[in-house]
Amino acid sequence: MAAALQACDLVVDARIGDALVPVIRDLSFELQAGKILGLIGESGAGKSMVGRAVAQLLPQGFAITAGALFFEGKDLLKMPPAHRRFLLGRAIGFIPQAPLTALNPVLTIGAQFDEHLARLGCTSSRERRQSAVAMLEAARLPRPSDLLRCYPHQLSGGMCQRVLIAMAFASDPRLVIADEPTTALDVTLHAPIIRLIADMQRRHRTAVLFITHDLRLAAQICDDVIVMYAGRAVESGPARAVLSNPAHPYTRCLQLANPSMQGDCRALYVMPEQMPSLRQLAGMSGCHFAPRCPLAMEDCQRVAPPDQTIAPGRRAACLHVATTPSIAAKAPAAMAASAAARPVLALEGVHKRYIVRAGLLGTARIVTAVKNASFSIRENEFVALVGESGSGKSTIARLLVGLEQPDAGRILLNGEDVGSASARNHDLRTKSLQMVFQDPYSALNPRRRIASIVTQAMEAGSRHADWDQRLARTRDLLAEVGLPSDLATRFPHQLSGGQRQRINIARALCTLPTVLIADEIVSGLDVSIQAQLLNLLARLRAELGFAMLFISHDLSAVRFLCSRVLVMYRGEIVEEGPTETVFADPRHSHTRALVSSVPPDNPEAPWPAFDVAQPTV
Amino acid sequence: MKGPLAHSLRSPKVLIALSMIFCIATCAIFAGAVAPHEPGEQNLLAILTPPEWMPGGDPNYPLGTDSLGRCVLSRLIYGARTAMLVAFFASLGAMIIGSVLAHISGYFGGAVDWVIGRLVDIWMSFPPVILSLILMVGLGIGLGKVILAIILVDWTRFCRVLRSEVLVVTRHEYVAAARLLGFTHRQTIVREVLPATLPLLITLLSLEMAIAVVVEAILSFVGLGVSADQPAWGQMIADARQYVYQSPSNLLLPIAAICFTVMAFNLLGDGLRRSLDVRLMETGH
Repeated sequence: MAAALQACDLVVDARIGDALVPVIRDLSFELQAGKILGLIGESGAGKSMVGRAVAQLLPQGFAITAGALFFEGKDLLKMPPAHRRFLLGRAIGFIPQAPLTALNPVLTIGAQFDEHLARLGCTSSRERRQSAVAMLEAARLPRPSDLLRCYPHQLSGGMCQRVLIAMAFASDPRLVIADEPTTALDVTLHAPIIRLIADMQRRHRTAVLFITHDLRLAAQICDDVIVMYAGRAVESGPARAVLSNPAHPYTRCLQLANPSMQGDCRALYVMPEQMPSLRQLAGMSGCHFAPRCPLAMEDCQRVAPPDQTIAPGRRAACLHVATTPSIAAKAPAAMAASAAARPVLALEGVHKRYIVRAGLLGTARIVTAVKNASFSIRENEFVALVGESGSGKSTIARLLVGLEQPDAGRILLNGEDVGSASARNHDLRTKSLQMVFQDPYSALNPRRRIASIVTQAMEAGSRHADWDQRLARTRDLLAEVGLPSDLATRFPHQLSGGQRQRINIARALCTLPTVLIADEIVSGLDVSIQAQLLNLLARLRAELGFAMLFISHDLSAVRFLCSRVLVMYRGEIVEEGPTETVFADPRHSHTRALVSSVPPDNPEAPWPAFDVAQPTV
Repeated sequence: MKGPLAHSLRSPKVLIALSMIFCIATCAIFAGAVAPHEPGEQNLLAILTPPEWMPGGDPNYPLGTDSLGRCVLSRLIYGARTAMLVAFFASLGAMIIGSVLAHISGYFGGAVDWVIGRLVDIWMSFPPVILSLILMVGLGIGLGKVILAIILVDWTRFCRVLRSEVLVVTRHEYVAAARLLGFTHRQTIVREVLPATLPLLITLLSLEMAIAVVVEAILSFVGLGVSADQPAWGQMIADARQYVYQSPSNLLLPIAAICFTVMAFNLLGDGLRRSLDVRLMETGH
């Protein structure tokens, strides 16, 4: 029997100016029926392009220029468009990344499901309704008949994703393409959603192309994986074999860049720079990973490594496969434990409520965002605040920096209450408290040059530093966050996401604050960039000495950086303690759910949250 | 990166509009040097002469004379001065009031926003032309009064459109970041929010100039505009209306002048809107 999906030397080119740059180069794989194939890589690796190539939904300027894509032996690229459209949504299903934008907000779930089933050829509306209910039930959604009357905005992101999974499997497809199906969801939902996809896949004997950036997740769910870098498959083979014993330096580096959840806290391996952009790719020769590769030799720059078989079923594109295991992270970063230091920032019984009014004269509803929060941060201490989205983490950050005022309770900065919005409190806070914002795109004024952004504090209030002073300070700050000083005259849009986030940190450090509030600052970034930033923060703490409240949902990043952790759930701090203790022995059920949502580091180890049947979320 | 304003100069629309406005502005500023006659100078021996190229035309009066024997070309040129003065100062005044309130409203939000928003709602519920006529009756006629009336009527236009833009900009984290770095509210608005709303502000300003020219013509047409001894295009249309069969050119020429001016400002506004579009700029194109 022919493979469910087979790619033969697939090439996707993008037109950049006058040149054609390959976004995917000579990609070949075979996905057998009933198997899960993982496509792994950082953003820009071209993994999503594979899914788009199957649906022929490539962005403007991108085109398949060579190779073939076979679906059950039939060439998808050569068949008439009408025939291909017939297959899409029937024999080939899709699970999108952002469930809320994939559903039509003005139609009920029932109407959308009905439309989908009608397209599949189910003519009786009663039958359609019955099968919709059955499929939602199979996706473990509670009260499916009520759900059909709901609009997408009335459901949580996890429920929307379950609806979309039910729809994707409704036609009993032979192939499902899942493009980062859990990335937009809360961590606690990852395991249940992945389990659902795996269940459905087993039940329908579907082949799944699973696109992800998460190595640990891929190790758990995939049968085979392909690791992609800059449009090329650098390594492929059985998932557990590849991920427990990587042959390509990139796979190994990627694994070492991921902070661990078990065992000793090891240092992160930091790959320099970032994946080449399409523009840079156009001018590169040899191995594209060579500029970042710790093992790169002189020949790597010249010769593009051939795809070679290194073991039965395993292939890697590297000239020096044998040396890969020698890559290791440098000595662990010393964790500064300073239990005796005095507290610099403290919350005492802080409450925050919001009044939500529905419509002009609608009844007011009170939403409690933060309930009786008390904690303190000591000098030079990194404390983590973890919890799912909507648990009140960001409200705490906004309260601390004074963008919101508490309804009750005190916020003590160096022993002084700075809770209210007076000008004096604002000055006190500005002096010793700074915030690093979440979104590196929205946090930098696009009209200011980098030097002006970084030293913005020097023009605040009645301060008027002259330009030479500011440039000098910019040079110092850029050096501290590891950026070249010639960035000073650039604009933010000329920088990459990782560089922008460094600028964001540099700006907060300009006034040498004693406490930094960092709200999900590594969340949207690729693993290798995240590792660079985490290492940077650890180094800056040693050099400059400041305390930090690190708000995150990424427990492995928290474990790497923070000595103490606060767990927040529905506006309350439900657990607090040293990071190791809390993660090793979680007391509160929500902490347990958070800890178990991280797949184990060891690809061979079982993932309890994935294997054990748990109540649906 | 070049500034967006410098970038907008490459748009042909903006260039054409600017050269049209340059012509009108030159006439307005150097009216005394350009015009062949004084605008009020009467020659009762030569009333309603047709333009020079028509049979019976007088080379002394290139575009003919009106019912009192005044030179139409000179009156058009001096009329441009009135129109440009009104267009410039009225739209500037409306912009200042409207944008200050819009920035306060959008930046602070809450009760301030509510009060300003309702004020704009009530203000806008009056038909603008009627409101300006009533104001003129109350204020009396004159150039300054026309400008004041237009300002009082049209500031709401700026306020409403800009407020929503300010709301969008204020939600950016860099605005919050500026506050945390110690910027006062005024500094934050002026240095962080205003530069982002400025392109829209300039676009609105040029569109408002076109509106001001039209409103001034309407007010002068009904005799509630500038004083009678000051030439204005609306007045010229009103005068020529009675003799439209004897001398249609007297009616058509001021109308053409108004159309030309309004088109220039609209073209400028449209060209600026396209080339200053914030969404295009932020992605770095």
